[in-house]
Amino acid sequence: MSAVLSPSASSATKAPRDKKRISPAQILLLLPLLAVFVGFFIIPLIVMAVISLLSGNPVSDDNVHFTLANYQKLFSDELYIEVLVDTIKLGVITTVFTVLIGYPLAFQLARARSPKIRTLLLVAILSPMLTGIVVRTYAWMALLADHGIINSGLESMGLIDGPLPLMYNTFGVVVALVHIYVPFMVLTVTGVVSKIDLRLEEAARSLGANPLRAFVEVTLPLSMPGILAGSLLVFSLAISSYVTPILMGGFSVLTLPILIYQQLSGVFNFAFAAALSFLLLLVSLIIVIAYFRIIKRIAEGAFS
Amino acid sequence: MSAGPGTIAFRILILLLLVFLLAPIFVVMVFAFNASDYLEFPLKGFSLEWFRSFFSSEQFMDSFFLSLRLAVITSLIAMVIGTMAALVLVRGGFPGADLLSSLFLSPLMLPAILTGLALFQFYVILGWPRTFAGLLVAHIIVTIPYLIRTVTAVLQGSNMSLEEAARSLGASEIRTFFEITLPLIRPGVIAGGIFAFIVSFDQFPVSLFLVRSDMTTLPIQLFNYLKFSFDPTIAAAAVVSVVMSVAVVLIIEWTVGLQEYAGF
Repeated sequence: MSAVLSPSASSATKAPRDKKRISPAQILLLLPLLAVFVGFFIIPLIVMAVISLLSGNPVSDDNVHFTLANYQKLFSDELYIEVLVDTIKLGVITTVFTVLIGYPLAFQLARARSPKIRTLLLVAILSPMLTGIVVRTYAWMALLADHGIINSGLESMGLIDGPLPLMYNTFGVVVALVHIYVPFMVLTVTGVVSKIDLRLEEAARSLGANPLRAFVEVTLPLSMPGILAGSLLVFSLAISSYVTPILMGGFSVLTLPILIYQQLSGVFNFAFAAALSFLLLLVSLIIVIAYFRIIKRIAEGAFS
Repeated sequence: MSAGPGTIAFRILILLLLVFLLAPIFVVMVFAFNASDYLEFPLKGFSLEWFRSFFSSEQFMDSFFLSLRLAVITSLIAMVIGTMAALVLVRGGFPGADLLSSLFLSPLMLPAILTGLALFQFYVILGWPRTFAGLLVAHIIVTIPYLIRTVTAVLQGSNMSLEEAARSLGASEIRTFFEITLPLIRPGVIAGGIFAFIVSFDQFPVSLFLVRSDMTTLPIQLFNYLKFSFDPTIAAAAVVSVVMSVAVVLIIEWTVGLQEYAGF
């Protein structure tokens, strides 16, 4: 799995950098995938950008013309700015907790000596990842709802009188999102931590640093590229999540993807939905570019 | 390392974090077999009622088989065209190779909901919204990064001089591919195909805009169900999905080994 996410398995080509020409056979091999991506990924995204500049739905409306009105609406209405800020806030909080929970697990996974324990840890960390977003969100609903397992359990033990507000708020959304994205963080960080030379830590300790100080001053800084790459990945996933904020937030938490869906299915405002999406796309693109840069530098060994 | 107080505290922390990761799934599995409409303690006793409810629901079964068919076709196509492209990209060197790699990997990080929305708008303009083929193309796009990553990972780790040796001994390019390259990359292709299957089967955001009421994938059917009812039928569906996932993990472990694919 982490071959997919781990920076060490980056696709950065290690072939010699002389500029070869691409052979006809190679073009044939590339062509099917390239055609699919150009036709059904790049062009649709460009079309979306164009639609965001239109005054209405080009299929059903007459007299559609180019306008910046959708973007003006976006930046003049407080609601939309608030949603954007809330979405980014949700992304940041989720990312911070994902690091706090994911880092120790990644550290343990990277340092575990017995292959059996490593496989066991890996299975424990991966199995939630293979369970599906809807199912995992349901699991948290079951746990955190007013009549859910935690509240009913605490009530039957007589510890609380009324249900604790664990769901239908930001808390519930963050808990479920963190749970869903921790495996992504672990897999990204483990690759980096396992490449840190243990002798550096030993050197620090032999120079008199206690284990904690050796960790804070040697291991942690060397882990930073992995933490950063994992954070960008999780942030990007969190700001675009839809299922979890809807089910855990119960419409009390409004995020950009939810707003986009409402504009399209409820109001059927094609052009405005496209403008909102383009905004989300821009934010994500910036993050993606930063992510690939870091991954590439890790692969090239720029940090070690 | 001696088990000092720091080490013990760290082990307890790891244990707690694993509980956080696994408890929700464990709890759902328990309640899937509980004879009560509500997810409440104390447990009422063993029952297979919720599995009956899941497997006898026409809607759930239609969605289940749609998702299964979609995931199988998606992963087969992704395995073929993804591997073909990865073979070229890993050797790289030609102008634009890095750009193409980034393009094919980008669906992994771009919000999938946008991929789905952009395709939906595109299909509407072309006049063919909400078809199986349209859904299939969307799923192929979001699963391709997994193929590219796993196949390039094996190719980078493998010994390319074998290919050169075969070629210099007079084997044709095609024969070299089938007798040397394919066996070398097979584990990567299989692993990538399995990831593609899982990602497609569990895919939610990309499908969201592309399904119809009579063509709904399982995750979206579960989501729609959850909006109105909360009974443990979903828990039973979850168990079915977990069992499938664990089976897939075990297949990876038996065929190619998890460690090898962990990349560390």
